[in-house]
Amino acid sequence: MSAIVCSHVDKSYGATSVIRDLNLSIEEHEFVVFLGPSGCGKSTLLRMLAGLEDISGGEISIGGTVVNDLDPGDRGVAMVFQNYALYPHMTIFDNIAFGLKRQNVPKAEIRQRVGAVSTTLGLDPYLDRKPAELSGGQQQRVAIARAMIKTPKVFLFDEPLSNLDAKLRNHMRVEIARLHQSLNTTTVYVTHDQLEAMTLADRIVLLRDGRIEQIGSPAEIYERPGNLFVAGFIGTPNMNFIDVTIGRDGDAWTLTNAGTVFTISGERFRLQQGERAVLGIRPPDLVAASPGASGNLLEGTADLIEFHGNDALVTFCLGGKEISALVPSRACPAIRADVRYGFDESSLHLFDAQSGMSLRRQ
Amino acid sequence: MPRRSSLPVTFVVPTLVILLILSMVPTLYAIVIALQNRELSSADYSYVWFSNFYDLFSDRRFLNAVWVSVKWEIVTVAATMTVAIGLGVLMFEVASPRLRNIYCLLFIIPVLLPRVSAAFVWKFAYHPLYGIATYPYRLLTGGMIFDPLSKPATALFAVASVDVWQWGLFFAVIVLKLLETLPRQPIEAARLDHARSWQIHAYVTLPMLKAPLVSLMFVKMIESLRSFDLIYVMTRGGPGVATETLDMYAFSQGFIESGKVSYASAMAVLMMVATVITFTMLWKRVQA
Ligand SMILES: Nc1ncnc2c1ncn2[C@@H]1O[C@H](COP(=O)(O)OP(=O)(O)OP(=O)(O)O)[C@@H](O)[C@H]1O
Ligand SMILES: [Mg+2]
Repeated sequence: MSAIVCSHVDKSYGATSVIRDLNLSIEEHEFVVFLGPSGCGKSTLLRMLAGLEDISGGEISIGGTVVNDLDPGDRGVAMVFQNYALYPHMTIFDNIAFGLKRQNVPKAEIRQRVGAVSTTLGLDPYLDRKPAELSGGQQQRVAIARAMIKTPKVFLFDEPLSNLDAKLRNHMRVEIARLHQSLNTTTVYVTHDQLEAMTLADRIVLLRDGRIEQIGSPAEIYERPGNLFVAGFIGTPNMNFIDVTIGRDGDAWTLTNAGTVFTISGERFRLQQGERAVLGIRPPDLVAASPGASGNLLEGTADLIEFHGNDALVTFCLGGKEISALVPSRACPAIRADVRYGFDESSLHLFDAQSGMSLRRQ
Repeated sequence: MPRRSSLPVTFVVPTLVILLILSMVPTLYAIVIALQNRELSSADYSYVWFSNFYDLFSDRRFLNAVWVSVKWEIVTVAATMTVAIGLGVLMFEVASPRLRNIYCLLFIIPVLLPRVSAAFVWKFAYHPLYGIATYPYRLLTGGMIFDPLSKPATALFAVASVDVWQWGLFFAVIVLKLLETLPRQPIEAARLDHARSWQIHAYVTLPMLKAPLVSLMFVKMIESLRSFDLIYVMTRGGPGVATETLDMYAFSQGFIESGKVSYASAMAVLMMVATVITFTMLWKRVQA
């Protein structure tokens, strides 16, 4: 049984439509990440699941019950907010215990459950403090504790780590992953950080303008992006795109871009002669070509070199477009040097120039 | 460099002196008079020291006035805060933003009326035969007469309700605006934590607004001390001494009934000392 089902869900504020005809089903115990650019409706969708936002159309069910008209408290969900949303005047203990007190749980049980949760999250030393006396990371842990203690059917996270610094973010990300491993609660997690999405998700739901662009495991989304938007959005550094025209050369297919011709077998793609397409290749998939190599080469003059530590990002111009290649730092060319990069056909992505859809065979 | 440091002094000292004279001279003068036995009817006087104060404590009318003042203070402050918080929360919960603006405008109007006008408006509204405030009673009882201002049991509350009408409604607007400035997330978190609307306000929003609400209460406490004009117009302390607060009694002792200026001054001095002590203590407690 699916934990969450959204069918034909719409959301509009007055005349502006924010979510359009969204269909999604989330399995029990699954960790699903909503990913997408700012303003695409991730938070809105999450808040609709939580019951903090009315549903304009369609139906949402959680654990088999339609929740459209249920109060937030009755949906069996717990939410962690981006800015923690702790009750500032209460101690940490009271913050965590608030939900249980409202449900009239006996005092002794409250004390025991708060103790258990605070031990799990390492909050024991802080129970008597006020939220303002904790660091950001500790406050977010309190927020997670407050969500955990209700033993909800579903955890909802809205960018829980975006107020934390990079190091703490990594640390908390690992903690959330651990927590999910041990509790196994269905989780919906909103972020615009790809790394968080990739590392935490069982499945990523990629949203744009209130529509789902692609749903899939992190590997699927990275390796087989369904369209140009997904390909460009996922992966840092960004995928290189080159406009090409498809042609035929004997048994092989040719992809021509202003003088550069790539020859491929094209078995993995649905190609048609004369069509215009967009070739996509990720920077790490470009490898320096040996001096004698010929064919399927991207050539240019390195005009920008960004040092990333182990790797360096080499940017050069090809037919008026910037192309980048991620190469090991020790093999990094000098600036203004001529560079030649080749690629393996298996790492190639092709998209229809008009619709932006992938030309890959299913 | 004495020249440089003398410049600020040159500017500050005269103002300070004027302020000191303006505030201290009447106070000191009142204290001095309280120690004498001046009366309006004759020009000579002598120092009687504390005998005025001594007399006060055996004056039953004075003790009644103290009790009425305390009642007035408690009733008006409690009712104002209750109405303000109740109405503010109610508007916050049920009114749309547009409706809220309309209510706010309406609720500010009473406090803009001068006290004396408000008092006259309500005095007429309480009129046993023609007043609209007593109209429902006449309607229900088939024309029986009810005069809230002339009954000792109801007079204080009838006058206090005018005070609450002015200040409670105005404070309701302030409470609403305070609620609107609160961050939304803790309220949403409380909704997810199974809190009902009233619990959200009782446990989350109002505690978050504790400091401004306490300040509002202090403002109202000080404001309630200055209700002389309202009571003077509506009941003149009557019926009997049912609404005779300390300032009313001091006024009538000093200028209306007997012209015992020193006796009235002693009352004013006592009132000042009591007020200063009470407020200092309350303020300290709230700060802690
Ligand atoms: N109360 C509102 N009234 C009108 N439009 C709104 C309201 N709340 C959100 N929107 C619009 O809905 C869209 C989606 O907002 P949402 O907060 O869901 O974005 P998001 O994906 O969470 O973005 P971010 O990553 O920046 O948090 C935005 O274009 C926003 O302008
Ligand atoms: Mg958001």
